[in-house]
Amino acid sequence: MELLNPLYALAGLFYEPSFMRRAQVALLMLTLTTSAVGVLVVNRRMAFFPDAIGHSIFAGVALALILNLGVQPTVLVMGLLLGLLITFLSRRGHLAPDTVIGLVFSGAVALGLALVSREPQATSGLSRFFLGDVLTVSDEQVMALVILVVISAISLFFLTNPLTLGSIGPKVGPGRDWPDYLFGAYLAVVVMIAVQAVGVLLVTALLVTPAATGRLLTVSFKGMFWTALACGVAAGQIGLFASFQPSLNTSVGATVVIVNVLIFGLAAIFRRIFPARG
Amino acid sequence: MTSITLDRVSVTLGRFTALSEVCAVIPSGQQTVVIGPNGAGKSTLVQTILGQLPHQGSLTFDPPNPRFGYVPQRLDFDRHMPLLVSEYLAMGLSLRPLWLGLGSGVKRRVYDALAQVKASDLADKPMGSISGGETQRVLLAAAMMTKPDVLVLDEPATGVDINGEQLLCELLDELKSEHTIVMVSHDLPTARAHADWVICLNRRVVAQGSPKDIFKTKVLVATFGLHQGQSEAFY
Repeated sequence: MELLNPLYALAGLFYEPSFMRRAQVALLMLTLTTSAVGVLVVNRRMAFFPDAIGHSIFAGVALALILNLGVQPTVLVMGLLLGLLITFLSRRGHLAPDTVIGLVFSGAVALGLALVSREPQATSGLSRFFLGDVLTVSDEQVMALVILVVISAISLFFLTNPLTLGSIGPKVGPGRDWPDYLFGAYLAVVVMIAVQAVGVLLVTALLVTPAATGRLLTVSFKGMFWTALACGVAAGQIGLFASFQPSLNTSVGATVVIVNVLIFGLAAIFRRIFPARG
Repeated sequence: MTSITLDRVSVTLGRFTALSEVCAVIPSGQQTVVIGPNGAGKSTLVQTILGQLPHQGSLTFDPPNPRFGYVPQRLDFDRHMPLLVSEYLAMGLSLRPLWLGLGSGVKRRVYDALAQVKASDLADKPMGSISGGETQRVLLAAAMMTKPDVLVLDEPATGVDINGEQLLCELLDELKSEHTIVMVSHDLPTARAHADWVICLNRRVVAQGSPKDIFKTKVLVATFGLHQGQSEAFY
């Protein structure tokens, strides 16, 4: 974990307690990832995909307890499978993607509730996924987030153009499936990791709000991407700082999302006063 | 340049026979226009040529494995998505992600393609802000950037005003010396003026030949089910 020391030293300029330094680096890594991938989520109209995947965590935790498996790997595999299932059903073309997401979402929640009702002790394991807590992340989790940023940069390098072109068209020749499946799997992993920091209830906001702000303020894809990244990272850091103030003393995840929504509100007012060109 | 031969090509969509034993030749280096009434299978024929639909019968290209360029009837996309025309065109050329900006080589190719379709002024405009006619020219530029052997257009002038349609036809007249062009059209006067070869389709081939041979009353009556007075209006 020595690799993290320079990052912690940087965070030390702002915060003294070690848990705050870890939280700051974790939030930086998480918001870099979610803001960047959120651009593709919003442009491909998959805003409810993170919700569906996030809610599968109920079933994952209950299954892990029933089958005596590790919780982390089980929820990750559960999310991955549902991500691939949504992609498969959406690509078959018989149902609109929002209908598919709605179906999988309901199915995942129902399965989770059924399993939890059978296994009442699972309820205690669920609470940390419900609300998440970035202040309790370990060095290992921070390291996992650093690796996620690297994987995200590589994934988005190769997936951005094929996925964006695929969502616009026109299509020539038989369509290629692999970018959609790869993105479905990758997004599921991002959601499952983000859930542990901000919770199931707020994970969608972390992905969607910065991208929505970027979309509002710019007319180019490049502009949207970097605006979303700047807004998402800024909201993460401002939210952490604000929640640490004794006068506020609020949950970090919720505060980050509130700051994100406030930035979006300011952007909407700005766009109202200065309409986009074109 | 590529010629296309369809020998008893049939396409079934579920229980519906969209194309029935179609036999046709699309000559190389010419502009072939496919005409026919609604539901005649014109778009199905285009999709079959592009390899998007399974078919029975023989579909051969000479020389084989041509590169295709395709201009659809319209582009269904989210018009509020922030995307410049130059970014849209660059996506098909390079894997370099749009968020890193356009490389100088790609940028040059994009601007050359736009100049070829007389749309250089559109490069920095958002895709959602350009008109129907401008969109068709951008789609034509995108199709041309793949350096296609066969250029396929599915009713490209639908929803385009008369000036836009005229410009599109002039561009296609210029391009046909270098590419085999297959165009589906509802517009009989335009087809008559610009086609070198016409295929009349109504799930099967009713007639094929030069515009001079095809635009005769009895062929139009057989293809479209028009009465004599209606078909004479095309002269």
